[in-house]
Amino acid sequence: MTTTTPRLFSTTSSSLARKLPTPASAPKAARRNRSAPKSENFNRIRTLRRNMFSPAPPPLRMARQRYLRHWTIHRAWMLFRRKQHEAIEKERSRMHAGMYNACEELRKTVGPGSRGEGYLYRVAMEKKGVYGLEGVPIEYARFQTDSPAKEPWNHDWKR
Amino acid sequence: MSRCQAVARPLARQLRQQCAIRPFTTGAARAAAEVQQQQQSASSSVPPPAQPSALDLDPNSVLPEFEAELIKAGKMPVGSRRRRVAMRTTANVPFEQLPYQAFQEARAILAADRQEKVAKIQEELVKIAALESKDASLVKGGQSMKDTKLASLRRYVEQLKIQADINDPLVKKRFEDGLGDMNKPIYRHYAERKWRSYDYRLITQRIKQFNIVPDVLPKLDPVADVQLYFRHSKVAPGAVVDSLVSEHPPRLRVQVFDAGSRLVSLVVLDADVPDADNDAFSKRCHFLAANIPLSPDSTSLPLSRITAEDQLAVPWLAPVSQKGAPYHRLGVYLLQQKPGAKVDVAQLKQLYAARDGFSLKSFRDKFSLTPVGFNMFRSVWDENTADVMARHGIPGADVEFRPARVHSLKPPVKPRGWEAKRQGPAYRHLWKYTKRIKGLSNGRGWTKRR
Repeated sequence: MTTTTPRLFSTTSSSLARKLPTPASAPKAARRNRSAPKSENFNRIRTLRRNMFSPAPPPLRMARQRYLRHWTIHRAWMLFRRKQHEAIEKERSRMHAGMYNACEELRKTVGPGSRGEGYLYRVAMEKKGVYGLEGVPIEYARFQTDSPAKEPWNHDWKR
Repeated sequence: MSRCQAVARPLARQLRQQCAIRPFTTGAARAAAEVQQQQQSASSSVPPPAQPSALDLDPNSVLPEFEAELIKAGKMPVGSRRRRVAMRTTANVPFEQLPYQAFQEARAILAADRQEKVAKIQEELVKIAALESKDASLVKGGQSMKDTKLASLRRYVEQLKIQADINDPLVKKRFEDGLGDMNKPIYRHYAERKWRSYDYRLITQRIKQFNIVPDVLPKLDPVADVQLYFRHSKVAPGAVVDSLVSEHPPRLRVQVFDAGSRLVSLVVLDADVPDADNDAFSKRCHFLAANIPLSPDSTSLPLSRITAEDQLAVPWLAPVSQKGAPYHRLGVYLLQQKPGAKVDVAQLKQLYAARDGFSLKSFRDKFSLTPVGFNMFRSVWDENTADVMARHGIPGADVEFRPARVHSLKPPVKPRGWEAKRQGPAYRHLWKYTKRIKGLSNGRGWTKRR
């Protein structure tokens, strides 16, 4: 059985043949590019673009009394912030000192039963379960190298 | 048109008309009502014009009916009418009671902090008293440790005194208006901070760029503000002063930033007196006074008023510069004497009456003084200098200094280059290229004089 297909002069397959650019197709492609899929950070980038290159806000212009009132409020705000920071700092150092003293006490105790000195301390310092049950820190998942690998993560890997 | 709209239309029209009349604020509504009433009354009978009060003539609080009068008088009303009405009733509210919420909250926070600081000062004062009454043998470290501890406690108290007042807007305002009491530590702190921010840097720059430090003193770090006024006008440090202006002694404005009264010596020294015989420069004392009392609140120090027998050692000599000589650096040096120690002025007179060859370093060492303040001006030959010198009997007005020509020690260099090599008759065919040498010749011939 023979079918009469119109034979082309070229021997190249039709799929590889050069197509003439139609005038309608080029802008269509461009438009498709313009509406490229938005990245997940699109909103953040837009905000950054807007704010990074905008000029600084104008300086505050105030008359004498207004400026003095502004200055008073500013000083009070700074004082308030400093006091807050100092209070937080104090509380944290108090808590840290408490933990330190507790550990020191554990290190000095002679353990329960026949355990030696510092047994409780050693047990307390164990990091089991910190990285999840039976987990290891991600840093140990590969060899530590100076430069990152060509392929950061092999997602297709299967055991 | 729907049925609903048809029903609502006349109602809406009426409402719209009312809205057009209804103004935004109650105050303006009242004003509009008043205006309407006035219009009504004006149509019936003309009211007598009200007499403007003092508040009505003030552009800050003028009412609308007196605006035209004020504008005619050439004063434009300030701000909105609403603001002007407000200003009429609230002009007398003191600053710290201004009804701004954030401001009042801030004042409350600052007041609480001040209370804390004052309590701390009292605590420290109790500590100081306890330490003072304690015997030195009971203090660990003996007398020296006791003194160190006392000094550091007192320093801390001074610091707290400053910190207690540093957040007060009224203190800041008073300092900015120049009304601060310099006997109080906070105002001295503000003044020092201001001085250090600019004037101190300027003075240290002058010390550096005019080489005051190696030439006059081995070390000079000013801690007091010294400003120089000739004929009621301030002279910037290092400025060239006309000899007619500097003929009369200047006035100094001296601000010290530490508490208490002290005695100072004052020296005005010319560091550039030409000494033609030795081909060098020497120094000359233009003014020397000692035992001048100085405290933070007494700032004015006119040199012409220092005449007491136990103060003035060498009177003012008009600074002059001879023609052709480089500028003279005239430094004003303020040296603090040891607490309670007086300098013997008779001895000063005997030592330094000759003025020439005065050494500030030797003066400082001989009487154990500390340089605390510095300022300077310059003097050059100008059109008034000859008259000034004649009036004060200073010789040398007819002398003109000229720079001695210093010849180079190198031998003269022969002309070099391609053209210079081809000047001779052997290169006659190239002369059209070689006779035009920049700086030596041009097309018309040789231009350089030989």
